[in-house]
Amino acid sequence: MQDNIELINEPADKKLLAIEPSYTQIPPGILRRMGKAIRMGVGTALPLIDDKNPVDGIIMGSANAGLDECVKFLMQIVDYDEGQLTPSNFVQSTGNVIAGQLGLISKNKGYNITHIHQGLAFENALIDAIMQLNANPEKSYLLGGVDEISPYHYNIETLNGAYKKEDISNKSLYESDTAGCLPGEGAAMFVVNAKADLAIAGVKAIHTIHTYDVDLVKQQLISFLEKNQVSEIDLLISGENGDNRTLPFYTACESLLGVDISIVRFKHLCGDFATASTIGLWYACEISQTQHIPQQMVKRNSAKSAYKNILLYNNFKGYQHSFMLIA
Amino acid sequence: MSRIFITGMGVISAIGNSVAENHAALKDGICGLKKELNLFPSKYAGVLPFGQVQISSVALKQKLQITESGVTRTSLLAAHALEEAVQNSGLSAAEISSAETALIGANTVGGMCLTDELYADANTKEGGSEYTSSYDCASVNLFLQKHYKMNGIINTINTACSSSANAIMYGAMLLQNGFAKRAIVGGTDSLAKFTINGFNALHILSPDNCTPFDEGRQGLNLGEGAAFLVLEKEEDLNGKKVYAELAGYCNSNDAYHPSSLSDEGDGPFLSMQGALQIANLAADKIDFINAHGTATENNDRVESEAMIRLFDKPPAFSSTKGNIGHTLGASGAIEAVYSILSLLNQEVYANLHFKNSIPSTGLTPVQEYKKMPVNHVMSNSFGFGGNCSSLIFSKV
Repeated sequence: MQDNIELINEPADKKLLAIEPSYTQIPPGILRRMGKAIRMGVGTALPLIDDKNPVDGIIMGSANAGLDECVKFLMQIVDYDEGQLTPSNFVQSTGNVIAGQLGLISKNKGYNITHIHQGLAFENALIDAIMQLNANPEKSYLLGGVDEISPYHYNIETLNGAYKKEDISNKSLYESDTAGCLPGEGAAMFVVNAKADLAIAGVKAIHTIHTYDVDLVKQQLISFLEKNQVSEIDLLISGENGDNRTLPFYTACESLLGVDISIVRFKHLCGDFATASTIGLWYACEISQTQHIPQQMVKRNSAKSAYKNILLYNNFKGYQHSFMLIA
Repeated sequence: MSRIFITGMGVISAIGNSVAENHAALKDGICGLKKELNLFPSKYAGVLPFGQVQISSVALKQKLQITESGVTRTSLLAAHALEEAVQNSGLSAAEISSAETALIGANTVGGMCLTDELYADANTKEGGSEYTSSYDCASVNLFLQKHYKMNGIINTINTACSSSANAIMYGAMLLQNGFAKRAIVGGTDSLAKFTINGFNALHILSPDNCTPFDEGRQGLNLGEGAAFLVLEKEEDLNGKKVYAELAGYCNSNDAYHPSSLSDEGDGPFLSMQGALQIANLAADKIDFINAHGTATENNDRVESEAMIRLFDKPPAFSSTKGNIGHTLGASGAIEAVYSILSLLNQEVYANLHFKNSIPSTGLTPVQEYKKMPVNHVMSNSFGFGGNCSSLIFSKV
């Protein structure tokens, strides 16, 4: 993905679909039977956990990993009137299917878990990873998040008013001032351990909250920064998604951080989805490592020449909020 | 590491709507499985046994004074058990909504108990039912979070049939790591046309009452229910009544097959062994195992062999699936409550419907209710995706 960091993929049919690789590490027989979320998740993870780089456990966040398979199985139930059904859709419909498949393919018998708490599924996976490392500082874990736009999920979320009704290009996403986000999908995977000296980046702290109250989010951000004794944030990675219902939260957080920090956005690149903060964390790692920000991500430049303390703020549907501090 | 204690419990299942009712039914060896299903139309209603909770969704709503729209039966069962647990623990409304109180719930069905409604909503772009925000599993805990105005860490876990054991484990770790001061942990699942047809397609639903660990077992029966525990640290108890200690927990993966356990049973073996290590207990200190014991050919054989591998001569054990069926995402939490009841009352409950041992293992579960000294109970939960978890509860 590093090579493509300057690339902008235009939405098609009001969706930002993931550009998929050829998944050479997944055996073709298994690949054929995988739904998109499963192959995106497994395909993104496998290069990180080959035989030379085994991990001690697998910690996944996914809001809707098995939903597509689930609705396919529902179709069978209805179409065949509860007759003789084939179980493969059912087996792949459980939310833990990606972590399960990864355990199976990589023969990993360690800790294996899937967090599915919608817009905080990945955040809870990250909290889990932090706790596992506190208990087992010598170990390393695969941590990731993945979700897809499946036709059925798209329909249900359209009924819920989650998406923009009008056609929109990536470039005008943040100027749109209408309700709804640009639906997206994707996966990001990380190997996490407690060895700071070899790390691309470090997650220093994370905080989550459920609320529709802008002032409460502001208060929580203030106490988050105080608690973690951050003197200065160099860069805000904002989960701003072009939805005028969630914009007040992002504006409020920006206002707290002062005018001399840089702000970047990423949802014109990957769209919005429950685990999009996974992609935000990937950009945080990338920027932390390269100290380079692609111009098309920039909302506001500053005089800063180094990005040491990075704050990632995201919210899902204006209700599930998270702050991550990356240093 | 701090010691973690259970300060409240709530449960609802086919054999009772409270901890007290479940306890009485376990003592009396009551089987809640019936060839009756009136929650939704299904061709398996009246044909297969199910462990249906004996209270309607309408009655649950009235009892809990829930007036919000779009609340599914999965959420209602959860709310019923959670309400009992928080009352039992004496948590005030302020404590429940404190930023230091976490809610970790597990389920696998979510709003898919509304199988027909989901089918309709997934195939339309206009209109839609009141449940369009309620199908995913997270909807249960989002509902509970709003209903109880909770401000701490909220999470939903899905590791299939071991889900709520992992919710308990995650809650305990939040306390150990200072992410929360108390954690309300558990799971829920309701009967659904979706799971009935899914397990039926796998040919692992028993036509009669399930017979865990019996040579002639024919598969599982599906049940429904919910259970929640309140976990608190030793230093925060302030003289509060405690029911048991959560002494050990471990999650491991069998890494063998998406829907069955390996002959070696590495996943079950490693989860049981890991829980002993966390609890710092030798295997012979376990007095009783609340087995996963689903009564499928595969589970009971592999679980038995893993118990023999770890314990050599396994302690007394039984499965309560013959009482309430397999409650999927709720089972780990419901059986945690049952395990704690064993510790509290120094007794073990009968594994119903058992006749003959599996020849290759020769193991016989507890066949009748009896009083016995119980200091440490292990509770197993194994699920699709190779997810295996074991918990150890200790007498206080």
